[in-house]
Amino acid sequence: MLASRSSAARSASRIVRNFATVVDTAGVKVAAVDNGEPTSAVTFLVKAGSRFESKPGVAHALKGFAFKSTEKRSFLGTIREAELYGGVLSTSLTREHLALSAEFLRGDEPFFVDVISSFIKSAKYTRHELDEYVVPVCEAESTTAFSDPALRALDLAHLIAFRTGLGASPFTSPGTHVSVEDVKAYAQTVFTPGNLAVLGTGIDAATLQKLVEQSLGSLSSASAPVTSPSSYFGGETRIEAHGAPETIFIGLGTTGAPSAELAVLSAHLDPTPSVKWSKGTSPLAASIPEGISVKTVLLPYSDAALYGILIQGESTEGVKAAGKAAVAALKASGDLKGDDLKKAVAKAKFAAASALDGRDNVVFALGAQAFGSPAALDSTISNLDSVNASAFSKATTSFLKAKPTYVAIGDIKRLPYADELGL
Amino acid sequence: MVLSGPLGSSLAPAILKSRGIYRWFKPLADWYVDLQGYRKVGYKYDDLILEERDDVQRALARLTPREAYDRQYRLKRASQCSVLHDVLPKDQWTKPQEDVRYLTPHVEDVEKEALERSAWDNMVVSRK
Repeated sequence: MLASRSSAARSASRIVRNFATVVDTAGVKVAAVDNGEPTSAVTFLVKAGSRFESKPGVAHALKGFAFKSTEKRSFLGTIREAELYGGVLSTSLTREHLALSAEFLRGDEPFFVDVISSFIKSAKYTRHELDEYVVPVCEAESTTAFSDPALRALDLAHLIAFRTGLGASPFTSPGTHVSVEDVKAYAQTVFTPGNLAVLGTGIDAATLQKLVEQSLGSLSSASAPVTSPSSYFGGETRIEAHGAPETIFIGLGTTGAPSAELAVLSAHLDPTPSVKWSKGTSPLAASIPEGISVKTVLLPYSDAALYGILIQGESTEGVKAAGKAAVAALKASGDLKGDDLKKAVAKAKFAAASALDGRDNVVFALGAQAFGSPAALDSTISNLDSVNASAFSKATTSFLKAKPTYVAIGDIKRLPYADELGL
Repeated sequence: MVLSGPLGSSLAPAILKSRGIYRWFKPLADWYVDLQGYRKVGYKYDDLILEERDDVQRALARLTPREAYDRQYRLKRASQCSVLHDVLPKDQWTKPQEDVRYLTPHVEDVEKEALERSAWDNMVVSRK
């Protein structure tokens, strides 16, 4: 059974190798894969996430300006024409990347590539669009995001863990003012050929390259925003909140490219059961009180990673008990060996391979490859295979030595402090 | 559709095209603008735009805070002049170079957007 599983992983990695030829077209990296899907999707991935922003909230505002009026067509024209073609335009913003995507029927690629590239090349960034459309949407998105205690905890954890750079939130915090000039200046620095990757699925690579060359050929190559490498700090914070589940986040961070050992640690502690209506076999699963949700969170970035355990529940006592169990399990995970280690490695391998399911995930894997990150699936799998007990114990021990990041959101008079959990 | 006033139809673009006609018309236009008297109470020409309309309201929202403040100031000052049945002291009259069309471009943009919207709403799709 193990043999068949590893062969499946190997064939999955073969698919990746097939499509992952990144070609430089007019200075822009272009990669495409055609697996015969009935629709095509093109994503322009820009290194314009919140870690690069010159002023808080600029990256979020730039995302809001996507598909607004350009020299070529108006805001309304873009939407109506996309509707006539039957396509879907979308944007997403992470701490590192801004993704501008279009999904459409095969054959409509000239129009949709033109829509996105005309935004990159000739967006107007008008003041009235900022006031009438962009700012209200940004505010609504931020309000929604920050009303979720889990998202708020992760956001604060990033701030405490990395302070600047990755600490910057992809959501505008209330009260920040961003002007059109700020957005325009930011757009000019990030929309440069070296900062841009065009990724297609369900589209012929040569076609995409030709379209990109036509539309982005004359893109000016100014200097990209410089960012200092991330460093990890750690710390503790407590935020009062009501009407939402009591939330704590126990996190640890590292710098440098995300390691295979961290993925194995995450798989080992993840209490999600593999079979419905059962308890998982993770060391954590047995000691979680009823009604408390425990999730492991592994957030790898290009030069750092944040790993943590997010605990949510209605009662502060339950959250405290689960927190104590989580810290104990985290501390004991250093001496993982034998079958337990094999199990964790297998789980991590499955997670890495199944992360390539679905169009969005393929696009992000392609994007990581285009920007030169060593995140190709085959190397990830082989790295996971080479994790052994001594290397794991060494990596985990040094990882656990870092100062923890601890966030508590909810009834702060009753929620535990970091030292009460044994951190 | 506005027939007169700052948003109404105008011969100005046609006159501006020909230098000869422009030179002939300019003194006459200056005399007429002066005769209208709005500059004597501190107004700019665009302050005379009828604002009880949806498109103008939308355009007013697009002014910069400074422009909006100055506009309110001019409106209040002119109302006071109306109460006093008098004009401002001469040094406070609007100078010709200050009398710029600060609102009309926004109204035109709003109108263009409305026209575009109705064009998209009423279009007939045909297969190529």
